[in-house]
Amino acid sequence: MPGVADFYALLGVPRNAITDEIRRAYRESALRLHPDRNVRPGDTELFLDVNKAYEILADPERRRAYDEELAEYEAELSRSGVFQVNVQHSRRTILELEEPQVHYLLVDINPSPGVSVPRPPVNLCLVIDRSTSMRGQRLDQVRSAAQAILNTLESEDNASIVAFGDTAEVIVSPDHARDQSASRARLSLLQASGGTEIARGLETGLSELSAHFNREGVNHLVLVTDGRTYGDEAQCLEMADRAAKQGITISGIGIGADWNDRFLDDLTGRTGGTTVFLDTPKTVSSLLRRTFDSLSQVFASHLRLEGAFSQQVELRSVFRLLPDATPMADTLPLMLGNLPREGTIRLILELIVHPAAQMTELTLAHFSVVGEIPRLKSGEQRVPVVAVCPLSKEPDASPPPSDIVSALNLIALYRMQEKARHEAELGQSAQAARRLENLAMHLLAAGERDLAKAALSEAGRLVQTRHLSTEGEKRLKYGTRALLLPSKSSAP
Amino acid sequence: MIECPACKHTEFVGTMYCSECGTRLIHVSPMPTMTIPRDRIEAVALATKPSPPEGPDLESGAILGLRIASSGEIVSLIGRESYTLGRAIAGQAVVPDVDLEPYNAYEHGVSRMHAEIRLKPEGIHVVDLESANGTLINGHRLDPQAPTLVRHGDIIQLGRLRLQLISRYRG
Repeated sequence: MPGVADFYALLGVPRNAITDEIRRAYRESALRLHPDRNVRPGDTELFLDVNKAYEILADPERRRAYDEELAEYEAELSRSGVFQVNVQHSRRTILELEEPQVHYLLVDINPSPGVSVPRPPVNLCLVIDRSTSMRGQRLDQVRSAAQAILNTLESEDNASIVAFGDTAEVIVSPDHARDQSASRARLSLLQASGGTEIARGLETGLSELSAHFNREGVNHLVLVTDGRTYGDEAQCLEMADRAAKQGITISGIGIGADWNDRFLDDLTGRTGGTTVFLDTPKTVSSLLRRTFDSLSQVFASHLRLEGAFSQQVELRSVFRLLPDATPMADTLPLMLGNLPREGTIRLILELIVHPAAQMTELTLAHFSVVGEIPRLKSGEQRVPVVAVCPLSKEPDASPPPSDIVSALNLIALYRMQEKARHEAELGQSAQAARRLENLAMHLLAAGERDLAKAALSEAGRLVQTRHLSTEGEKRLKYGTRALLLPSKSSAP
Repeated sequence: MIECPACKHTEFVGTMYCSECGTRLIHVSPMPTMTIPRDRIEAVALATKPSPPEGPDLESGAILGLRIASSGEIVSLIGRESYTLGRAIAGQAVVPDVDLEPYNAYEHGVSRMHAEIRLKPEGIHVVDLESANGTLINGHRLDPQAPTLVRHGDIIQLGRLRLQLISRYRG
């Protein structure tokens, strides 16, 4: 299929950009890419492409013809694509208003039915915190969980185990991973001591993964920790960004009350991964098992949502609802991690739509779902999607889709918890306590008695000590998030 | 913008749940809160003037009362030459003689010191105490601090809270 290049993306302008804007964008990139000035190889070719893009887009006649060609090509791509992307709107119409309004999009990404892929090989690295606080039950449980994973490796899989405290070392290398007696002996030598230098652990783990990087498989790092890293956070985040670009996902397991949940959420979120809170190390084994199983059932990896919003539209927030519930970054591209073979990635996007000039419908955004399918086809797969909504003077009387309403309801609870925590940190403990009491009321109404109790007890603690407990913070945060998962929301 | 009915937080049109208190906003209004021209409000107020109240619902000894238009409850005014109307707030130094907070005064835009009723030899006067949302008598807006004569059955509107004057005062 002959491709049609996306000139709008090339110039970095929205599809409904006016000619002035296109001219400005063209000048900017032309200056940067001009053969007299450019430095990187390939820039001259890019310069020629940019020139061609401008030539066409600046001429209304040719632009119209090109727009048609592009739309046709993208429609064909979505029909034949390996992903199915479905977009639901919170309202069927956007109001013609002279003030901004909120509009939600529920985006579902599924594998196309006709496309079946074999189990991908898994390239896994377990990065285990062995700082002093892990001593005893925590390290014992993690050690046996790690051994259990090694025992289930299939012939094409690769696994390694890295431990870190003040320094990091490879405990089990991929060469020894399948030799059970060797790996058991190596793991038994793993003793708790030292601090929590996450950057060292990550660095060693990522270099193990890169050394055995499997372009046709799934490459994943699991970080298990119970403590805080100090001073090397920025370095860790940078490594996560590089890993994401390479196609490595990172997930986190935080045990107990004393790890830094915001940092770990940020770190894993950048790669499309997620963080899980365990109040007891007993469940680490089943959690690792599930993580490994889901990796072996990946349909597409390195998945992202790319694209651009129209001028009138800005992205206010994104929440992923499936396969796990987690808030996401609010800029495109969004790193989505892995798409399960029998599953869905579901996102809810909160948009602010600014007043639009006279028109009958508004194109909110042009998205592309981009990812790689291990084994099936080489190279990147791309499925374009356009989100369009008609405009109307009258509000849409029909109720919004129930999936959107129920998700937003629970996200509102999650946000209240975040707000209360923020207020507590600012010293506004009375306000935070009131908010938690209000949250508890909503949780009770939703039948979440345990979580409501936790919220109330934190509210009481705020009144007495002016602070939240580190465990309570995490319980509320991950507890309200977990409400969004299907097993929870379908329960009475 | 739309306003959360529970906590008065304002949100963009289209918002489904209040970001402040979690209240469901889907049915609040899919349209922004309208600004209605003042003369239209006054026209509506004039057109809906109720008939004079019947029956002696006042407490014994009272010659003045206020009927809350929305609920029909009656507040008797006893033993003074003048009554300030408003809403009391805990910890506030100056408290109005008649606290309208039990009748959702805040939601109706009643100021803390909103208006005053004065008994004068020539009759009963209502004075607007420079309230934020103004005082209307039978739909006519009063100038601040200007005493206006009222009679039995008149509608005194504080912000959006409508009260009907019950009077056996003869001056």
